[in-house]
Amino acid sequence: MAVEHDLETMEIPVNMGPQHPSTHGVFRMVLKVDGERVVELVPHIGYLHRGAEKLCENMDYRQGIGIHDRTEYLAPFHAELALVIAVEKLMGLEVPERAEQIRIIMAELNRITSHMMFVGAFSADAGVFGTAFTYAFREREYIQDIFEEVTGDRTMYGYFRPGGLAWDVPDDFVERVRAVLEHTRQGIDDIDNLLTKNEVFMARTRGIGAMSAEEAIDWGLSGPMLRACGVRHDLRKAQPYCIYDRFDFDVPVGQYGDVYDRYLVRLEEMRQSVRIVEQALEGLRDGPIMPKKMRRRLRTPPGEIYQGVEAPRGEYGVYIVSDGTDKPYRMKIRSACFANLMGLRDMVVGHFVADAVVILGSIDMVLGEVDR
Amino acid sequence: MDHLDEFLENPWVNGILGLLAVLVLIILVVLALIYIERKFLARIQMRLGPMRTGPYGLLQSLADAIKLLAKEDLRPARADRWVFELAPYAVFVPGFLAFVAIPFTRNWAVSFLELGLFYVVAVTGLSFVGLLMAGWASDNKYALLGGMRAAAQLISYEIPLVLALVAVSMVAGTLNLREMVEAQGRVPLVVWQPLAFFIFMAAALSELERQPFDIPTAESEVVGGPYIEYSGIRWSMFFLTSYANLFLYSLLGAAVFLGGWDWFLGRDAGPWLQALWMAGKTTFLILVFMWARGTFPRLRIDQLMSLCWKVLLPLAFLQIFLSGLVLVHGWPDWALLLTSGAGLLAAAYIVWAAVRPRPLAVREAVASGSVA
Amino acid sequence: MLGILKGLATTLSTMVRKPVTVQYPTVRREIPQRDRGFPVLLWDHETGEPFCTGCHACERACPVECITVTMKDNPLYAQGKSERRKIVDEFWLDYGRCMRCNICVEVCNFKAIAMNNTWMGHELSRFDRADLVLDLGELLAQSKEKKMQAWVPK
Repeated sequence: MAVEHDLETMEIPVNMGPQHPSTHGVFRMVLKVDGERVVELVPHIGYLHRGAEKLCENMDYRQGIGIHDRTEYLAPFHAELALVIAVEKLMGLEVPERAEQIRIIMAELNRITSHMMFVGAFSADAGVFGTAFTYAFREREYIQDIFEEVTGDRTMYGYFRPGGLAWDVPDDFVERVRAVLEHTRQGIDDIDNLLTKNEVFMARTRGIGAMSAEEAIDWGLSGPMLRACGVRHDLRKAQPYCIYDRFDFDVPVGQYGDVYDRYLVRLEEMRQSVRIVEQALEGLRDGPIMPKKMRRRLRTPPGEIYQGVEAPRGEYGVYIVSDGTDKPYRMKIRSACFANLMGLRDMVVGHFVADAVVILGSIDMVLGEVDR
Repeated sequence: MDHLDEFLENPWVNGILGLLAVLVLIILVVLALIYIERKFLARIQMRLGPMRTGPYGLLQSLADAIKLLAKEDLRPARADRWVFELAPYAVFVPGFLAFVAIPFTRNWAVSFLELGLFYVVAVTGLSFVGLLMAGWASDNKYALLGGMRAAAQLISYEIPLVLALVAVSMVAGTLNLREMVEAQGRVPLVVWQPLAFFIFMAAALSELERQPFDIPTAESEVVGGPYIEYSGIRWSMFFLTSYANLFLYSLLGAAVFLGGWDWFLGRDAGPWLQALWMAGKTTFLILVFMWARGTFPRLRIDQLMSLCWKVLLPLAFLQIFLSGLVLVHGWPDWALLLTSGAGLLAAAYIVWAAVRPRPLAVREAVASGSVA
Repeated sequence: MLGILKGLATTLSTMVRKPVTVQYPTVRREIPQRDRGFPVLLWDHETGEPFCTGCHACERACPVECITVTMKDNPLYAQGKSERRKIVDEFWLDYGRCMRCNICVEVCNFKAIAMNNTWMGHELSRFDRADLVLDLGELLAQSKEKKMQAWVPK
């Protein structure tokens, strides 16, 4: 009896299309699946391209702040910070002390909201039926209430200006932030107790999507993705901007570079952000928020500058080429998620299809940043 | 009046009336469970749940039912017509049949079968056929894959479920469900066999396709379940079956492990009191299942399978072996507790050992020449 | 095993906490004074005319070019009842384009435009996108009826 030794098998292409509940935005992945294992992965991006960099060429720096808000829409304060610090360095502006302190408070609170969003969406990917999601969003809402009281908007702030801030914070700012930090600590503990030692969660995330430190540096990863692989690199310590060198905080570093470590790093970063905010609240003094004699039109001298900040997702950078007018000649955005996404294929190939979703969630993608 | 009594004594009439009563009970309970689940999960997530349809959202189940009944009944053009249309009923009927043998109180059941437990287990084991029918007949390769995965899950977890029930029936000495309840007059069986209870709960969670075992209905995975081509009334049959099964397994667990309507009321309590007591225990188990749903992420299909075959099955055999040992040698009852408790600790150890971090063989190094 | 029990304990503890849901629209949250709804024009109740003089400052500063303004000679100035020589003639603001960046409010020299910090600045659903282009009368309506306390940054 002849034995068939050539069974025709087929690698099925599976399309996780632009509209999908768990691709975190309009992102398309085409997986080639052999049985249950992923053999090949091709990402397709560009569905959210809005021409941000080109638009900025027709806008002056104050108008461009709104564009940067909408590019990195989950951590807008960091995007604004990159832009305003770049312009300040070009023009040689001196930012008053109070404005720097408030900038740091806002940026770190924004880091907490961004990581809360990550925890919520990531746990929904892992399969928790919305419990961690609502915990995370409850914390986010408390902090967004503060943002609404200060800037007027819950997500697209437009608050930082080159030289300082647009307007001063309300009088009860310090008490409000302290009250909210109580809630935040409780919320982080809730999520910690629910997920971190949960055996099912660990079974789902341990050892998945691991990346070694050399590979991470080769691919250009940054932020929590890089730190989870064991590389102690944080722009706030390595190339301090704003007044971060005056604050006392730790930089959490992972060990194995897998999905679980990325989750742990982000969870711990939230706690460190709370520490920074408390120190900044202590050091907040009265004073001006804009340097004296700010001109109406901010003409930057010809030149170029790159400024990167430690956004929650990695290194968000703005590269400005100025030709002497008040509008940039070229504004290039170095987006953290674009670089982080490059490592996706290496992380997913060899794993199961179900893990592809979890790994994608662990990158914490913001499509606005990837596509600009 | 005598004619009426004789009429009601007729076994055929008795049986049919009993079945109708059970059918009405199932429908009412399912409507209530839909509402309770939404409210309970909402409370876990610190939100309110349905509030708009009727006072406190009490009419939500009715609104859902009306919506589902009014939906268009779609059928894929190339679907296998009769298989497609009969699949929902093929899933519902075994669950309904199992209610025939469940005693609600001492004197209330459709039928007090001598082989009650055997019958229940045999009949519920048929429900996977309907899933396969649904997956095959949908003319959709993802539905087929989902259907086969769901069927594999259901069939695999039948075995630990049955073995756990076998262990319990060994100690009770009977398969008749009413006698099993009465055998727990002094102490409920969960005290003598906690390991069997744990295996029963885990296997029941999997049979019900709930977190952490809800791969077939996972929304954030690539492959949708076998139900994706169904809509309207047919889909509502699947939905109904899932809650009817929840009710069934909770009743079974309350009767077999928690002492049903007997512990600790005694045999002479009135039938309504017994029914209430039984309802209370059943509700407790239902809430435990819902609580688990809100807390756990979902396991991957291979982790699910290995949990069943490599963990639950050996533990079930261990439980039977140890119980057999104790019963044959006539050791006192607390030896049962000792052996079963030891088995439960072994289960806990296995779960911990499976997820503790271990160094990843290939990708481990920390970067040399670290930055800052 | 302990982790699973810890998770179950956490969900049990949150069950007894007060839910955080606000049942909109029967209950409306109080919005802070600085909230940035869509821009509206302010009415000067003393002189009985808008503050806006039609100077085009906001039109030039708007990043998305959603404002169109024209100015005219102020009839009230000719009558001696107002200090403003010019007054706004026509004003269109496209709410569909506006990105609520607040720059028009910052550059206005007359504190004539402000962001709507009431619920009416958020509940603006229309059936047709063309209905989102508001003209002068609609933009002044809320301030004329004294239904808002505008906040303009110093």
